[in-house]
Amino acid sequence: MTTPFVLFLQEMFLFLGGISALTKEVSKELFRKRWGWTLIAEQIFQIGHRSLPLVMITAISTGMVMALQFGLGLERFGGTLYVPRIVTVSILREMGPVFTALMVAARVGAGIASEIGSMVVTQQVDAIRAMGTSPIQKIVFPRVIACLISLPLLVAIANFIGFFGGMIIGVTELGLDPQFYMIKSLTNLSFGDYLSGFGKAIFFGLFISIPSCYYGLNVKEGTKGVGIATTKAVVASSILVLVGDFFLTKLFWMIEKWV
Amino acid sequence: MGLIQVSNFKKSFGDKEVHKGVTFDVRPGECLGLVGGSGTGKSVLLRSLIGLEKPDSGEIFFEGKSIHDLSERELYSVRKKMAYVFQGGALFDSMTVFDNMAYPLREHTNLGEKEIQQKILSLLEDFGLSGNDQIFPGSLSGGMQKRVGLARSIILGPEVILYDEPTAGLDPFNTRKIQDLILKMKNKGVTSILVTHDMPVAFAVCDRIAMLMDGKIKAIGTIEEIEAQDHSLIGRFAQGEST
Repeated sequence: MTTPFVLFLQEMFLFLGGISALTKEVSKELFRKRWGWTLIAEQIFQIGHRSLPLVMITAISTGMVMALQFGLGLERFGGTLYVPRIVTVSILREMGPVFTALMVAARVGAGIASEIGSMVVTQQVDAIRAMGTSPIQKIVFPRVIACLISLPLLVAIANFIGFFGGMIIGVTELGLDPQFYMIKSLTNLSFGDYLSGFGKAIFFGLFISIPSCYYGLNVKEGTKGVGIATTKAVVASSILVLVGDFFLTKLFWMIEKWV
Repeated sequence: MGLIQVSNFKKSFGDKEVHKGVTFDVRPGECLGLVGGSGTGKSVLLRSLIGLEKPDSGEIFFEGKSIHDLSERELYSVRKKMAYVFQGGALFDSMTVFDNMAYPLREHTNLGEKEIQQKILSLLEDFGLSGNDQIFPGSLSGGMQKRVGLARSIILGPEVILYDEPTAGLDPFNTRKIQDLILKMKNKGVTSILVTHDMPVAFAVCDRIAMLMDGKIKAIGTIEEIEAQDHSLIGRFAQGEST
């Protein structure tokens, strides 16, 4: 009898094999002369530009909440002056990239999986293949590249907005001088703080786009399958972002020590 | 020798063995009708001919070369010569009719946009679709979608056309239009395979008809042979009698 655990393991191996094969296929496309910038630009608009409001709201809330929590916590030890530095570094290294990636995983991951899944169900993917062209080239590659370009840009905007949110609370609730907040935040930042955040953002772009495309391309059982694929894409992308964050933090920590 | 040869083709889905050794060939310029009950695997067989499905065993030859072992990339050159007309048209719903039809031209030819436009507008006129070039497929009727799908498939001038139930669900007027278009392509010397349940259309356009039943080709013959025989398998199928 096949237990749920065995089924889970089977699905896990299929998923890992599938995304590895898809990553390999996408990598081959990197060496093509024509990248199809029109399709990539279209996807940057869909993935990057259209995610801006969601990312901005998340970032400002995160910055404000963090400043408030750290402010209240450190006030008891007279450490309010450290709030700008702590909030800014946390946003740059962790909160900016991770929250942005989670929001994009939810919005874009679901969108990619359902769009590609619907194309599979209506035989549009078969039509691409039947006309002697590649669905990897026409569907997957533009979305992966768009995610790789959009994520770092969204993270940069999220960092700025998050910093601004922290500053609003620092000034209005903690009584800090705006100029002091800004100087304290920015003067002690190292190259590693930026590298860690933006480096993660590039990997998160892959963690979102590849599983979402994989689940979309492997839709079975018609429209019901599209719903299942969409859910799986969001779950897999989010888990990859959260688990991957730990290993990436470790990786960039080692790089910083080495540099 | 056949342009397309299918030899001992076997394909299963899970425990269900759909094809148990299908063998037939299609001669150059011929139109072969492939008929059979629902669920006998006609569409799967058609999809396999263009490499959209892989057989479990057996061989499919196109121009004498086995397509069984070709990679997805190697199949691109075969697919440029073979066109597949999908049952529902399979038009890209995010593109206009014009862009749908321009897709193969932009991908496989060096034509300029002006030449592409001329070619598409002329083809749309031939297919009775003038004035619909800037419409999205979702706004077209089923018959029009099928005609656009057919127009898109033949725009590169393929050597072979695979029709997957091109007249299913159409009214008599649109059925006649599609039938005429298939005949027009046949008269140009294009080899074709027509999967259909529409027996009058099959008898009108096909040179030979093959019947897929119980996972094998149970009967194959020219229209004259089928019509000459009393109670032939294909004849009984066409009359809606028990086979």
